Amino acid sequence: MTSTKAIARPAGSKLYLLHRIAILAACAGVFYPALSPARITTAISQYTSLLTSAISWSSLTSGLSRALNRGYLATSTFQLLMVASIVCLVGVILSAVGGCMSAGNTRMKRKGLRFPIIGSLLMFAGLAGIYVSYTQIVAADYSRAPAYFPMGFWFYLVLAVVILATSLIELVRGKGAVLEPKMEMLEDYHLFLLFLPILALAFVFCYLPLWGWRYAFFDYTAGGTLSMENFVGLRWFTYLFENEATRNDLLRVLKNTLAISGINIITLWLPMVFAILLTQVNSKRFRRVVQTLTTIPNFLGWVIVYAIAVALFSTTGFVNGFLTNILGTPSDVNWLMDSSHMWLKMWLWGTWKGVGWSAIVYISSISGIDPTLYEAATMDGAGRFAKIWNVTIPQLMPTFFVMLLMGIAGILSNGLDQYLVFSNAANGSAIEVLDLYVYNLGIGSGQISMSTVIGMAKSIVSVILLFAANTFSKKVRGESII
Amino acid sequence: MAQTTRKIAKARQTAMGIEYKTTVGDKIFMVFDVLFFSLFAFICIFPFYYILINTISDNSLVNSGAITLVPQGIHFSNYISLLSVSDFINSIGVTISRTILGTALMVLASAFAGYLTTKHRMWHRSLWYRVLVITMYFNAGLIPTYLNMMGLGLTDNYLGYILPGIVAPYNIILTKTYIESIPGELQESAYIDGASTMQVFTKIILPLAKPILATIAVFGAVANWNSFQDSLIYMANSPELYTLQHRLYVYLNTSSNLASAMQSGNAVSASSLNTKVIQYTISMVTVIPIAMVYPFMQRYFEEGIMLGAVKG
Repeated sequence: MTSTKAIARPAGSKLYLLHRIAILAACAGVFYPALSPARITTAISQYTSLLTSAISWSSLTSGLSRALNRGYLATSTFQLLMVASIVCLVGVILSAVGGCMSAGNTRMKRKGLRFPIIGSLLMFAGLAGIYVSYTQIVAADYSRAPAYFPMGFWFYLVLAVVILATSLIELVRGKGAVLEPKMEMLEDYHLFLLFLPILALAFVFCYLPLWGWRYAFFDYTAGGTLSMENFVGLRWFTYLFENEATRNDLLRVLKNTLAISGINIITLWLPMVFAILLTQVNSKRFRRVVQTLTTIPNFLGWVIVYAIAVALFSTTGFVNGFLTNILGTPSDVNWLMDSSHMWLKMWLWGTWKGVGWSAIVYISSISGIDPTLYEAATMDGAGRFAKIWNVTIPQLMPTFFVMLLMGIAGILSNGLDQYLVFSNAANGSAIEVLDLYVYNLGIGSGQISMSTVIGMAKSIVSVILLFAANTFSKKVRGESII
Repeated sequence: MAQTTRKIAKARQTAMGIEYKTTVGDKIFMVFDVLFFSLFAFICIFPFYYILINTISDNSLVNSGAITLVPQGIHFSNYISLLSVSDFINSIGVTISRTILGTALMVLASAFAGYLTTKHRMWHRSLWYRVLVITMYFNAGLIPTYLNMMGLGLTDNYLGYILPGIVAPYNIILTKTYIESIPGELQESAYIDGASTMQVFTKIILPLAKPILATIAVFGAVANWNSFQDSLIYMANSPELYTLQHRLYVYLNTSSNLASAMQSGNAVSASSLNTKVIQYTISMVTVIPIAMVYPFMQRYFEEGIMLGAVKG
């Protein structure tokens, strides 16, 4: 700890800021398909990022197998493209190393400058390779694979120039500076750099998808491109209300969603009652066994629950077997195709799966209730039910309140798995909740823009509900739930 | 002596809200209470028993729906025959490997991120911590997430199972809270002895944080084992990458798939296996590991949900 004090806080050179921003942009661009310099023909999937072009031959050439097999395009063109992408990628990585080292002391900074210099030169080399393969595509003049000069090429060219220029200027400017004996870095920056990979993953998988919301404003079909030509503004949003079929669909789906969530919310007290009744049993071993057996279903996926449903209720399942073999009343009804009371059935399956597990929180809370409260109640002559009513339930109310608010905040999010696995031709319309509708629309029928609009609206409403519930909780209980 | 023990027992029961003196009404209540929970536990467990007896009974009887309460013609060859269904082998391989790899990476990353976020010296620590935590409350939606995965080249790619799961904000919060409760002197003395940040992490933090890491590991492992949605959406064109639950889902829906799978598998076993038996057997293979491990890990699961509740 003491050694870090000796390191001066790095001087806040504006040039280093530019240097680092350029490197950061180069790193981020690696993941982002629209900024890939390697998409030199529109026949390459528009989902191919620079990273993908550098590591996956099959993704790079997925749309080109015919052209390559028949010899319309030379395989060597794409081999060159891939090698150039790799060189470019290595250049970016080296620049990133230099960018990290620029957070160190003067010695580390100066030693680190060699990396972005080499890195940017590699980027130039890679871009040159990409350009050569581009000219080959142009020369091949194959109609199925028209040449395309990617915007990302300019993006990386500019970045490479900026990185090289800033590095060289810093190199010249810092000449003759007094260097520390050892390369060291201020703890603050060191810790941040260690944390950077975590942040990068969060950015790529949590924040980057938000950029996909722009599909909501375009007339987009899978595999197409986004340009000002198919920019439709808010057309999809108005379409939702103007097109009668879509509006009816949406109303039906919302009705299902709210009904199923509603049933779940008004039965939210069940786990609490479950917990109270279970803790009344004296035998500890009995309680343990019941807890174990009733919580196991929670840890099995919905596919397994559906497999159980099939096993019990299909034509040759348990129920028919029981009726036929044990009760002697032959039956071969396929109960699963019965589409009546779907909401209730979904609730029943959910309860079967989850009630034991949801009760755990209450069971723990009950064992945490102050025993003197019960003693006092006993003194006052309270019986079992009086104690439950006047002591246990009031003590559990805060937990119940949190669960209730969370349930209300999640009213639009039923989840996909349960409804997907249980849906079939007969019950489809009664079981389709919002999550399933988005899935069916987007993945099933390829209506990317439409399903993005609905998913987007759902996300926004959910966040608003969550914060509203939280604000309410803060006002009423003085405690937040998130 | 015996009297004292009884007194203690009585005091404890009183504390739990249970009155020792029994009235008739109490007794009746107790009988119904115990009966209710016995019945409910039975309902929870019976389907598994039913599927189990169907996987070990005579296959032709099973197919006609003749096995209801007791197994007949017990044999275990279905589990052996399943090994010749290549789709199943692929799926179980994918599921096991992602459970191990995905869980290990998630736990390690959570521990590391949790540790780093306790470091007050980190540059803009609270900002980055917030950046992570906020991701729990919003979701870009199914389609944008799917397009993002596609853009990253992670669809029809095994890495698509692993990479998105590494950073789990909720688990990072849990480990951070736990690590904050470890006395700071331990770290300080290690620093004075010249240990680096990484050494403190591996030598001090990791061993001391084992309880919380076990908790997040069991949840992570179950989630990976049960994974279905990511396989369904991201791996649609790569049947060799289907997880076990996805494979089971396919089998539950289309018996024709199954017939071809069995024929390509093994001609001998194809005659004895049938759609229903395969569905049941795969169900059992999916359930058994969890049912075997869960009772021993129950403590960690319960601690995990309580951590969440305490936070709330």
